[in-house]
Amino acid sequence: MLRTTLAGLRLHKSRYVTTVLAILLGVMFVSGTMVFADTLKANYEESVMGSATSVDAIAVPAQPEPGDGEEPEAPAAFTEEQLDDVRALPEVADAGGLLSGEAVLLDDEGRAVGFMPPAAIALDGTSRFSPDEGTLPSDGDEVVLATSTADQTGFAVGDTVTVLDPEGDKRDFTVTGLLNFGVDPSYSMSGALVFDPDTAREMTGVSGYSEIDVLAAEGRTDEQASEAVAALLGSGAEVQTGEEFGLTIAENAGGDTEMLRVALLLFAFIAMFVAGIVIYNTFAILIAQRQREMALLRCVGAKRSQVFRSVLAESVAVGLVASALGVLAGVGIGMAGAAFGGPLLGTGSAVPVVITPLAVGVGMAVGTVVTVFSALVPAMRATRVSPLAALRTSATAGGLEKGTGWVRVVFGLLAFLVSAAMVAVVLSSEPNQMGPIIVTAAALVAFVGVVVLGPLLVRGIVRVVGAPLRRLGVPSMLAVDNSTRSPRRAATAMIALTVGATLITGYSVLSASVESTMTTMLEEQFPVDYQITPQFSLEGTGTGDAAAEGAEEAPEGEAPADGQSAEGGPAGDGAAAAEPGEGAGDGAEDGGPTAANATVPAFPTVPNGVIEALEAQPELGKVFGQRSTSVETGGDLPLFVYTYPGAEIGVDLTSEVVEGDLTDLGPGRAVVAEGYVDGVGVGDTLTVPARDGQDLSLEVVAVVEEMQSLSAVTIDTEDFATAFPGVDENELVLVRAAEGADAAEVRDAVYSAVEEYPTMQVASVAEMKNQFSEMMDIAFYTIAAMLGLAIIIAVFGISNTMALSVLERTRESALLRAMGLSRGQLRRMLSVEAVLLCLIGAGIGIVLGLVFGWAAGMSALPDMIFSVPAEQIAVFIAVAVLAGLLASVLPGRRAAGTSITGALASE
Amino acid sequence: MTESTVKPVPPVDTPPVVVARGLTKTYDTGDNQVHALAGVDVEFHRGAFTAIMGPSGSGKSTLMHCLAGLDVPTSGTVHLGRTEITGLRDAELTLLRRDRIGFIFQSFNLLPMLTAEQNILLPSQIARRGIDKQRFDHIIDVVGLRDRLSHLPAKLSGGQQQRVAVARALLNAPEVVYADEPTGNLDSRSGTEVLRFLRDSARDLNQTIVMVTHDPVAASYADRVVFLRDGRLVDEVTEPTAELVSARLLKLEEA
Repeated sequence: MLRTTLAGLRLHKSRYVTTVLAILLGVMFVSGTMVFADTLKANYEESVMGSATSVDAIAVPAQPEPGDGEEPEAPAAFTEEQLDDVRALPEVADAGGLLSGEAVLLDDEGRAVGFMPPAAIALDGTSRFSPDEGTLPSDGDEVVLATSTADQTGFAVGDTVTVLDPEGDKRDFTVTGLLNFGVDPSYSMSGALVFDPDTAREMTGVSGYSEIDVLAAEGRTDEQASEAVAALLGSGAEVQTGEEFGLTIAENAGGDTEMLRVALLLFAFIAMFVAGIVIYNTFAILIAQRQREMALLRCVGAKRSQVFRSVLAESVAVGLVASALGVLAGVGIGMAGAAFGGPLLGTGSAVPVVITPLAVGVGMAVGTVVTVFSALVPAMRATRVSPLAALRTSATAGGLEKGTGWVRVVFGLLAFLVSAAMVAVVLSSEPNQMGPIIVTAAALVAFVGVVVLGPLLVRGIVRVVGAPLRRLGVPSMLAVDNSTRSPRRAATAMIALTVGATLITGYSVLSASVESTMTTMLEEQFPVDYQITPQFSLEGTGTGDAAAEGAEEAPEGEAPADGQSAEGGPAGDGAAAAEPGEGAGDGAEDGGPTAANATVPAFPTVPNGVIEALEAQPELGKVFGQRSTSVETGGDLPLFVYTYPGAEIGVDLTSEVVEGDLTDLGPGRAVVAEGYVDGVGVGDTLTVPARDGQDLSLEVVAVVEEMQSLSAVTIDTEDFATAFPGVDENELVLVRAAEGADAAEVRDAVYSAVEEYPTMQVASVAEMKNQFSEMMDIAFYTIAAMLGLAIIIAVFGISNTMALSVLERTRESALLRAMGLSRGQLRRMLSVEAVLLCLIGAGIGIVLGLVFGWAAGMSALPDMIFSVPAEQIAVFIAVAVLAGLLASVLPGRRAAGTSITGALASE
Repeated sequence: MTESTVKPVPPVDTPPVVVARGLTKTYDTGDNQVHALAGVDVEFHRGAFTAIMGPSGSGKSTLMHCLAGLDVPTSGTVHLGRTEITGLRDAELTLLRRDRIGFIFQSFNLLPMLTAEQNILLPSQIARRGIDKQRFDHIIDVVGLRDRLSHLPAKLSGGQQQRVAVARALLNAPEVVYADEPTGNLDSRSGTEVLRFLRDSARDLNQTIVMVTHDPVAASYADRVVFLRDGRLVDEVTEPTAELVSARLLKLEEA
């Protein structure tokens, strides 16, 4: 039996070409992802381990929280005496300290670089770091830049850079080298400057060491050195061998690689799913076409189980061959990905590609299992062929199917109803995290409905769309008729495409809606043109943790939306990041628990001089600030209180009002975000404990919606000044241009106003909007590219279905040619059929995507402005047409190339 | 070969519709060559219903394919009217088939997804030709398909399907209709209907018909029968009867 199977396979190789391609692509994605992620991880590990293992033991000051081993700003840094003691240990050959503070670096336009100032460090003696280019600074006029800082600023070895000392005075340095800190989060995020030790102390005011690197004495192991150092430094230090230290960092860095792996595998899963549909359809058609062959086997004595096994054996063979090719292609893709993608993700130079047995095994297993699994149902069907079928001549109506059963209709409609009910329930309830998940589930249910109703949908849609097409000529007319002759086959082929189309459309709708919602909110609630924020500083805060969290919230400070791009943009995050002021606001809230204990404002503020300078510019119409503080109320969380000096609430700054009137805000009154203080409504009295122990009793005049520009409690500036005299500077300043002012002049005016304050970060709202759009676009294109493979596989499936149908209709094609249909017309007939299939598949996908994209958005963001990305959808439709044309190329060539007499002679 | 006595139109007065001269067709099968046609000269006149007969492998289907422009002969010429079709390119042959030739095949004559009427009208639509309503009605009535027009082929009997194919071939009044074993798949009653109809259309509509068959009874409906053996024209009979044709055929097989 196996011999028959293999002989059959060899004979019908061409039928499997596209199937093999579909599996190959899916497997390629899977193993490519594995190879890429493994290589990336090895790369990270190597770069981290490389630096850590160059020393034998590493001591860092102990952290109050466990498991946070390499924070540079630990509470108790090591003293010079401790370093000397370490050096004096008999187990230690040499030891060096790492001084670490921060210093403001100015770019070539004189503005501070980065949302946070770069780390300013010095390597005092032995260190795990060494410059990758040039030499370490030897005196007070030299500096070495982190490669990330050099990339960001464009400075190179030999350039002169300006750094501000703690008093804010400028000091020039010559760049003597570059140092790659790799993925070490302490230095990779905001960059680093390396000074000589004395200069570092001058520039940062830091005297203690945040890390001691130790070389073991000859004859002593790393462990002995590390234990000796640990014993000496006591509980104030965490000591690890170089290797342990490296592993810890690598593990943290590896976490990102794993995230990337999971994300890519998700798309690989979608691709494999689509490939499964394609394989199923191919086998189903092949089995139908080979009915007589199967029947003949049964006639000569093959058992049902043998027929079943022969089909499965065929699928195993196809699966194994395709998977092996897929793994090979995947390794290639993984290598290319590591070579081109690696540098983008911050790894060093190319590292040898890592091919783990797991990557190969998973690829082979996934490909083969999916193939065999998809062939199961067709194989079952093959066993039902009666031996008598061999004797019957095949029906004239080759491939014509019976109508759709009622069970199908009822079941399909039921699926749609359930899906609609799920969406309705989600939309009528409060937005919560479960919303998008339930909507996704509803989309899956609806998809099942589409699968079940597929044949019916194909028929119905073709009837409508086909009417005008029929009039275009005989090829189109025949194509329309052909496309409905086996609706089940057509439906399966098109559904493969629907998967990708639904996902892409759904995402594009979400993305466009979030973007337009954000833009509208910005324009309506936040009518400003520029935002000025101070540079975040590790030193201005109680602990490094709070600032680090703030920084993660909005890396580089370009726009709060940064956090979003990393997430791939679920709608909920979009809301949080939907206004520029909130980025800083969120940071303040995150830092809150520690900040509230301090008596001085925990975060750097905008000097009041900035406001004065801005107000002096005639091009600027309105300048106002934001101040906030938090007060303990005895509850779990402190109460946040905001005020906006210079702003008229309800005019300059507004929010969606649930109840009351924003413009009523004044002394003795307050605006509260909905749900922020339990049970407080308009007219109620809100008590805010002030710093000096006196409580403020405020009348609530308005309740606004959550997650908008006004959050928590907003009070009048006079009340704020009385209650919290310590908070006398703004955490951010917002600027609106004067009416009719020229954009370039406004920009010049803002920059000249802050010229004296190089550390002030100026962000243009228009630029932020652009950056936000850009990031949304990048996320969209990335996702579209990832889903592209699933679409390519689906097109292969359609092409394969067409090719097999052409094979089945060889006689018909010959007949048509004999009657005078030209080769071109025959090809056009197939093109129209394929395009029709693709359009239906894409069309259903677009509809599903629109509906569920909207539902998912609404479930998280009830105020979302639904926006249909018409351009993108037009592109999808164009792609569908193109895909159809491509899918029909090979079948068309085959059909047109067949000799008429040969085809007539067969059968 | 030209002195056929078929009435009512004496073809002697008109030039032949199809003329083949010195047709050969050779297939290369690796080592040796197979001569499917080894020099055939034949003519078909307007309004004549001719049967081509011969044992299996005699080359009758190849001859028909070459005459119809479906296949290209190795040498020799074929004229349809004044057009030499040998040497035409595929696109020109396609147009020729579309506009000037009708076909009836043994089976699978119809497109399964089109109704009987759509099948009949298909060649006209491919050619974007107007439909002669009167001729359509006449033909439909003669073949007796009026009440079957909206049926799909799967709902028609084998004889009805072949009648649809005949109606389709005749609708455009092509210069010649080629029929390849048109009754091969039919029971004798349906076959008789189709053959009568072919004969009547040759007479009444002055339609030239060339039919390939191996059935002496079918051949007896023709005005003339030509016999083919080993790729050569070896005999011909006018005013044939089934007995006469059988006898000639037997003689051929024995020889």
